[in-house]
Amino acid sequence: MNASLLNPFTVTHPTAVQTSLVSGASLARFDPSGKFVAAGRSDGSAAIWDLDTRAAIRWCEGHVKAVTSVDWSRNSRYVLTSSKDWNVIVWDLASPMDPPQRYTTIRFDAPVVSAYFHPRNSRIVLALLSTGEAYVVDSRKEHRARVELCEGLSEGDDERARYAPRLPAFSIMTTARFDPSGRNVFVGTSTGNVLVFNSRTKTMVARHRIAGAGSIKSLEFAKTGRRFATNSTDRTIRQFILPTYPSPGVGVECAILETELEPTHRFNDPISKVAWHAMSYSPDGEWLAGGAADPATHKIYIWDISNDGQFATALDGGREPLIDIHWHPHASRLASTTNQGSVLIWHCPSPERWGAFAGGFEEADENVMYEEGESEFDVENEVEFAMRKKLQEDENVDILGGVDDLVDHQVNGVAGDPDDEDLEWADDELDDDQQGWRLKVIMVDDDDTY
Amino acid sequence: MDPLAGMDDSTTDDDNASQTTEDDPQVPDNHPPAPPPTQHAPQSVPQSLPPAISGARERPNYELRHTLRGHTQSISAVKFSPDGTLLASCAADNLVKLWSPFTGELIRNLSGHTKGLSDIAWSADGVYLASASDDTSIRIWNVDSGLTTKHLKGHTSFVFCVNYNTTSNLLVSGGCDGDVRIWNVARGKCMKTFHAHLDYVTAVHFNRDATLIVSCALDGLIRIWNTTTGQCLKTLAEGHDAVCQHVQFSPNSKYILSTAHDSAIRLWDYHTSRCLKTYMGHRNEKFCIAACFSVTGGKWIVSGSEDNKVYIWDLQSREVVQNLEGHGGVVVAVATHPQQNMIASGSIEPDLTIRIWTDRGSPS
Repeated sequence: MNASLLNPFTVTHPTAVQTSLVSGASLARFDPSGKFVAAGRSDGSAAIWDLDTRAAIRWCEGHVKAVTSVDWSRNSRYVLTSSKDWNVIVWDLASPMDPPQRYTTIRFDAPVVSAYFHPRNSRIVLALLSTGEAYVVDSRKEHRARVELCEGLSEGDDERARYAPRLPAFSIMTTARFDPSGRNVFVGTSTGNVLVFNSRTKTMVARHRIAGAGSIKSLEFAKTGRRFATNSTDRTIRQFILPTYPSPGVGVECAILETELEPTHRFNDPISKVAWHAMSYSPDGEWLAGGAADPATHKIYIWDISNDGQFATALDGGREPLIDIHWHPHASRLASTTNQGSVLIWHCPSPERWGAFAGGFEEADENVMYEEGESEFDVENEVEFAMRKKLQEDENVDILGGVDDLVDHQVNGVAGDPDDEDLEWADDELDDDQQGWRLKVIMVDDDDTY
Repeated sequence: MDPLAGMDDSTTDDDNASQTTEDDPQVPDNHPPAPPPTQHAPQSVPQSLPPAISGARERPNYELRHTLRGHTQSISAVKFSPDGTLLASCAADNLVKLWSPFTGELIRNLSGHTKGLSDIAWSADGVYLASASDDTSIRIWNVDSGLTTKHLKGHTSFVFCVNYNTTSNLLVSGGCDGDVRIWNVARGKCMKTFHAHLDYVTAVHFNRDATLIVSCALDGLIRIWNTTTGQCLKTLAEGHDAVCQHVQFSPNSKYILSTAHDSAIRLWDYHTSRCLKTYMGHRNEKFCIAACFSVTGGKWIVSGSEDNKVYIWDLQSREVVQNLEGHGGVVVAVATHPQQNMIASGSIEPDLTIRIWTDRGSPS
């Protein structure tokens, strides 16, 4: 709402470190409102940081081994932590206590590599285990199930098995994400495939071969625009246009779409050939940030997607190597985590305008020739002036409406046609994560903790 | 400026009508309502009224409901709790008093400050109340227990004004040393100090998402600040003889309402630095008098006055639509109930009362 007043400049990617949260974290995620950061730690705890006060306000202590991922539900009420101790814990931040109440614990029989909420309903959780299996766990009463996502066979597989028996028929799943609409699950595999599953039926709808990628390390979606990017072991980030998939009917055997996806862009560092730890799209999808896996520096590369993927800048965050980055959900801010456990919050500083201290002044960068208006210094009839002012003041003002709460920009605003089966399925038995709930402020008595 | 010729006639009529009301604010009730100003398009706010009725502006009909006595020195602020079940007041007698606005009973005193109080603010959940005192400290009270939860020290002079942000994790305060301070509520620590003004900071307020702070001071300036960086974003200078003493954002944070010592209340578009509306008719030349928005029924501006009355203006037409008489002293504090048509007003010596006014709908 006040973006123009707060930052009148056009650069929309962050350029400088604003603050550093010393949290012992190995990964950090902004919540959808952008007010909080959840930081997962290798000791098994996760801290919720309030960016207004730059203080940790909740400690989610429940795991006995390192936290591997954190995720927020769409209105920030629930936080999920996955851990190497084989558990996924969902925390309810609406509970007025610290540590917050556990909403549920989901147990697996292997370390959990990552877990995500369904973008529309936090009762549906996608988890990837270190054994290379992905599960969709549905805790709704009507749909209670734990379904493994199994790579479907197709004719090509039979042939491949016949002619090249050494190739594994099924590849190891290395990353699994919901797409922003929640209709599909995208899975990256160790053989350089991206598999697409329907979230509702859990059936595979497509297999995309990505030539030359090696093993897929991670997948990232742009929130607006149908784009996604892959990070793979060949040290290249590829961006693709997201294809559309038909929604499979229940019980109907659907042909698996087999295509090779051609990237629209390839991003890499041609000189140092650095690998990438993480990547993140800006909220408008116009920038892509890549966190370089450089052992000695903290470098974030930013590419300008709207300008044909041109390299824009490399941000230097000092000497502590980078392990994770995440872009703020609606502002030009980034969170990058160092291997020493600091979370750096990047912002786009605006220079101090001293003219702002005097009413009616404007700063000019260069001398400006003043052009006098036609009637500017004419002596005006006072009555006419008062009349004009009165007329102007008669214009109606709206003191209540027009509030664009930032929540509207979130993924839950993804429009779908009303009888979309997949979205209907996801919206069934909705969680209690309603808009407008507020995190209770808990007074801290002890001043020593941070 | 560019309406059709037919429009010009009607605006002249309206002009005369509003001038008479401003010269003589005590409009008798049998005064025929001003002709419906035709240039006002029906509001876009969904009002399920046929256009014939929405053209004729309704007038408020507030009546005295309760008179609350108890403070022994001048009252400086009254505030309704966010759920509307409590009214808090503070005064120069070092006390915060909590009242039931429906029965007028005193519920509790919050005592602990060693000097007079200038301002109070409720947290959004209604659990805590912050009070600003001349003893240079702010106390955050647990309203249920009546105990001080946090004692915020840091101001070097009297604390004059205080406000929470909507998530109530931050508190902003202004002092008589010209400083604006932002506090971390949970820890009770000062996070940031802006050397904002050169004179008493008389009001500070967060916008809805707490990205901006507006402050005003007796140096005559209204300033808008970026909460996170502490940068001054804009300065609005009042008229030459106007020292501004109270300022706040409109409910949607698009405008700023300010009161000034030239007996005028102004509504500003702070993006363009343009004054959109001027509300006049009351007297305010000496005291620090607050104004507030009333949005529960009609859209009004409510303010106290040095002629011992409470004035209610129509937000759009800027006419005085009602005067509330009864106080025996200057009315410096007013507040509007968050859900109901209820106004609380507080007065300084010698009156020392808080009055609760309610509007039970128009007389039929």
